[in-house]
Amino acid sequence: MTTEQSLVELFDATFTPAANLAVMPILVLAGGILLYLLCDMVDSLRVVKPAAFCGTIVATFFAHVNLGWFAEEVPGTVLQGTFTADRETALWGCLFLLGTLFAWVYRVGYYKQNAPFQGEHDVLFLAACCGMHLMVGAEDLIPFFVGLELLSLPLYCLAAFRRARLDSVEAGLKYFLLGSFSSAMFLYGAGLLYTATGSLNVGVLIAHEPTTLSIVGGALVVASLLFKVSVFPFHLWVPDVYQGSPTPVTAFMATGTKAAAFAFLIRISGVLPETAIGVVAGIALVTLAVGNLAALGQANLKRMLAYSGVAHAGTLLFLVVAVRAGVTEGVAQEAALFYMLAYLVSAMGAFGILSLLEADGERYARIESIRGLGRSRPVLCLAFGLFMLSLGGIPATGGFLGKWFVFSTLVQADMVPLAICGALFSVIALAYYLRVIIAMFMEEAPAGPASTAMRTPAIVATAACALLVVLTGVLPGLWLDLL
Amino acid sequence: MLSLITFLPLIAAVLIALVPLKRGAAEALTLLATVAVGACTLFLWSGFDGAVAGLQEATKLDWFTLPMGANETLVSYHLGVDGISILLVVLTGILMPIVVLCARGHIDKRFREFFCWLLVMETGMLGVFLSMDLILFYFFWEVSLVPLYFLVGIWGGEDRLYATLKFFLYTVAGSLIMLVGVIALVYMTGTSDVPTLLRATGDLTTTQQHWVFATFAIAFAIKVPILPFHTWLADAHTQAPTSGSVLLAGVLLKMGTYGLLRFGIQLFPAAAVSFSPWFMALGAIGIVYGAFLAMAQNDLKRLVACSSVSHLGFVVLGLFALNQAGVRGGVLQMINHGLSTGLLFLLVGMIYERRHSRMLDDFGGVAATMPIFAIFFVFTVLSSAGMPGLNGFIGEYMILAGTFQADWLWAAIGVTGVIFGAVYLLMATRRLLFGPIVHEENKSLGDLKAREIGLLVPLVVLCVWIGVQPNFFLEKTAGTLDALDARIEAVKAASN
Repeated sequence: MTTEQSLVELFDATFTPAANLAVMPILVLAGGILLYLLCDMVDSLRVVKPAAFCGTIVATFFAHVNLGWFAEEVPGTVLQGTFTADRETALWGCLFLLGTLFAWVYRVGYYKQNAPFQGEHDVLFLAACCGMHLMVGAEDLIPFFVGLELLSLPLYCLAAFRRARLDSVEAGLKYFLLGSFSSAMFLYGAGLLYTATGSLNVGVLIAHEPTTLSIVGGALVVASLLFKVSVFPFHLWVPDVYQGSPTPVTAFMATGTKAAAFAFLIRISGVLPETAIGVVAGIALVTLAVGNLAALGQANLKRMLAYSGVAHAGTLLFLVVAVRAGVTEGVAQEAALFYMLAYLVSAMGAFGILSLLEADGERYARIESIRGLGRSRPVLCLAFGLFMLSLGGIPATGGFLGKWFVFSTLVQADMVPLAICGALFSVIALAYYLRVIIAMFMEEAPAGPASTAMRTPAIVATAACALLVVLTGVLPGLWLDLL
Repeated sequence: MLSLITFLPLIAAVLIALVPLKRGAAEALTLLATVAVGACTLFLWSGFDGAVAGLQEATKLDWFTLPMGANETLVSYHLGVDGISILLVVLTGILMPIVVLCARGHIDKRFREFFCWLLVMETGMLGVFLSMDLILFYFFWEVSLVPLYFLVGIWGGEDRLYATLKFFLYTVAGSLIMLVGVIALVYMTGTSDVPTLLRATGDLTTTQQHWVFATFAIAFAIKVPILPFHTWLADAHTQAPTSGSVLLAGVLLKMGTYGLLRFGIQLFPAAAVSFSPWFMALGAIGIVYGAFLAMAQNDLKRLVACSSVSHLGFVVLGLFALNQAGVRGGVLQMINHGLSTGLLFLLVGMIYERRHSRMLDDFGGVAATMPIFAIFFVFTVLSSAGMPGLNGFIGEYMILAGTFQADWLWAAIGVTGVIFGAVYLLMATRRLLFGPIVHEENKSLGDLKAREIGLLVPLVVLCVWIGVQPNFFLEKTAGTLDALDARIEAVKAASN
C-alpha cells in the first residue's frame, strides 16, 4: 500500500458522513464569517451586513437542530475521537447563538465613536461564537485549545473596542495579559498530561491511573479553565474587565465564555483525583463568599454584576464537585445547561438594560443614577427587577429552576450540607439584587432629567429576555423536553 | 373553581397594570376582583363537606417533568382544598376586600401599583393554601414574598427600606433551606404530589424524616415567627402600611403555621412527635416572651406586633400538643388571630390617620372624644385577650386543654401568658382610651366614620360568631383533622 492510498483511506475514515454532520454548525458559522467579511469589503454589499449576520446565526441554528433532532443517528464522537456532537452540544450551541444574537442586538446604536469599525466588531463576535462551539465539542485538548484561543483573541480586542477610552483599553490589556497567562498554564498542563499519559484525548486522560505528573498537569489545565469561568482565586480580572469593556461585549463575555468553559470543565473534571473533591468544594464556597460579599459593596452596577457572575460561577462549580462525587456527567450537563440558559437570559437582559441606559456614557452605570427610575420608566425597570429576581433565584423566573437543578445534583451526590451552604450564600446575593430594586422603585429620583435613552432593537431584545426568563420559570417543560 | 379563586386576582392585577386607570377606577376594579374572590370562597365553603378527609374540588394538570438523576418526577399543577386549608382560604377571601377599602385612608401615592401588588399578594396567599403539589407550593410560597416586599418598601414608614429588606432576607433564608429539604424529599420519594407524599413519607428512614422535617420547620418557624426568629416581625409590622400589616398579621403569618401543620405534622408525624417537646417549649416561651415584649412597647403598632408573637406561640403550642384538642385549637386560633389582630391593626391605622402618632404617651382619654372607636377597641382587646364568649377564648382554651394532656409544664407556662396578655392589652387600653386628656390635639379627634365602621363590623361579627358557635367552623375541619389524629396516634403507638 502506498502512502497516497493510506492517506486517502485515512481521509475517508475521518470524514465520515457523521463527522460532516457533526462539524456542520461550525462550518456554517465559519462560512458565515467569510461571507460577512466579503459584505464588509464590497461597498454595494454593506447594506446586507445585518442580514448576513442574522442569516449566519439562523443557518447555524438549523444545523444544530438538524444534528440533534432530525439526523437519523446523532453523530456522537467523530474525527478520530477528537470531537463530539450530540444533542447536548447542539443545545449548548443554541445557547451560544442566542447569546451572540442578543449581544449583537444590544450593540446596535451603542457605539457613538468607532462606528467605522462596526464590521470588525461583528466578525469578532461571530469568531468568538465559533470558538465556543469548538470548545464545547472538543474531546481532545488540542481542538479545545484552538477553540479557547478563537474565543479569547476576539474578546481581547472587543474588550478594548472603545479605544478612545482609557478604561476600555485597560480592560483589554488586563484581559489579554491574564488571559495569555492562563493559556500558558493550559499548554503547560497539557504538556505534562501528554508526558504522563501519552495522549491528549479526554477519555484516555480520565481513564488513566493518576500519577503525580498527570495530577499536576490536570490541575494546571483545570486552573486555566477556572480562570476563564472566573472562579476564586482567578477572579480578580473580572470586575475591571467587565467594567471597562463596552456593555454589549461584557454581556457576551459574562454569559458565553462562562457557558463554554463550564461545559468542558464538567467533562474534564475526571482528570482530577477523587481526593480533590474537598478542594474544589472549598474553592466553590470561597468563590460564593468572595463574589457575594464583594458584590454587596459595589456602587457600580457593572462591577456588581461582575461579582455576581463570580458568585454564579461558584454555584456552577458545585456541579463539578457533584460529578467527582459520583453523579453521572449527563445529569450535571443537564443541570449546567438549564442553569446557564437561565443565567444567560437574565444576565443578558440586565446588561442589555445597562447598555441601553448608559448609551456610551457612564451616568447610568452607578446605582445612585437609577434611583427613582421606576417612576419615569416603569416597564424598563420592571424588566430589570425581573432579571434581578431571576439572578437571585426567586420562583416563577428561570433562575429558580437553575438553582433547583444545581442543588438537586448536589443532593443526588449526597452532599446536602454543601447544598445548604450554597442556599445560605444565595441569601446574601439577594441582598444586593434587592438593593437595585429598592433604588429603582422605593427611593426618590434625584433632581435633573431622567434617562430617556431609547433604542428599539435593544428594547425588543430586552423584552425577549424578559419573556424567556418568565417562560423558563413558569413552563420549564418547554426546555426540559428538549434534553 | 380553585384556579379561578387563585388566578382571578392576578388577572385583575395585570389589567390594572396595563390599563392606565384613574385611582377610583383602579380601586373599584380591585374591590370587584377581591369581592368576587371572597364570594367564591364563601361558595366553596358552603359546598365543602367537613366530614370528608381528603381533598375536595381538586384540579390536577400535568405541569412539567423534572429529571432527578435516573428518574423523572412529574410535577403537576394540583390544587385542592381540605379541612386544614378551608378556613384560611375563607379568611383570606373575607379579609381582602376590607384591606382594599381601608387603603383609602393611608395610601397617598402610586395607587395603581399599590392595588396591583395587593392583588398579586392575594394570588400568592391563596396559591400557598391551595397547592397540593410540593413544588407548586414552593413557587407560591416564595412568590408571595415579592408583593409584600414592595408594599412595605414603597408605602411603609420611615425605616421601611431596612424593614422590608430584613423581612425578605429572613424569610428567604428559611425558604432556601427548605428548598434543599424539598429537593431531598422529591429525590427520595420520586414524587412531589402531596397526597402521594402522605403515603410515601412513611417509607423513609427516621433520620431522613427528621432532616427533611427540620429543614421545613426552620422555614416555617421563621415565617410564623417562632421565638428565636421573631425579630423581623416587629420591624416589618411597624413599618408596613396599615393594609400591609393587616395582611401580614391576618394571612401571611398563617402561611407559617399552615406549613407546619400540612408539611410538618401531616407529612412527618413521626418527626413531629420527636420534635414536639422542642416546639412546645418554644411556643410556650414565645407566649410569655412576646407578652413581656409587648408590655414594654410605647409604639402601639409594635405592641400589636409583639402580641402576634405571643398569640402565635399559642398556635404552635396547640399544634405540637399533637392531640385532638390541641390541633383543633391551633387551627381555630389561626383564624382568631387573623381576625382580632387584623382588627387591632385596622384600629391602630385609623387612629394614626387622625393623630399621626402611634405612641401611647401621646394619647390618653381618647374614649371621651372617640366613643365609637373606644367601643370597638375594647371589644377587640377583649377578643384578643381571650374573654369568654368571644373567639380568642375558645381557641386558647382548646389549646391549653390539649397541651395539658400532652405536658402540664408548658400548659402552665402558657396559662401565665393568658394573664400577661390581659395585662399588656388592658394597660395599652388604659393609656390610649382612659384617663384625663393630657394633649391638646386629642380633644379634637373625630370619631369613626360610617365607612370605617363598615370595615370593622364584619370582623367583629365573625369574632362573636366563633365565640358563640365554634362548632359551626370546627365541623368543616373535622374529617381532615380526624384523619390527622389517626395518623399521629398510629405513629405514637408504633414508637411505644
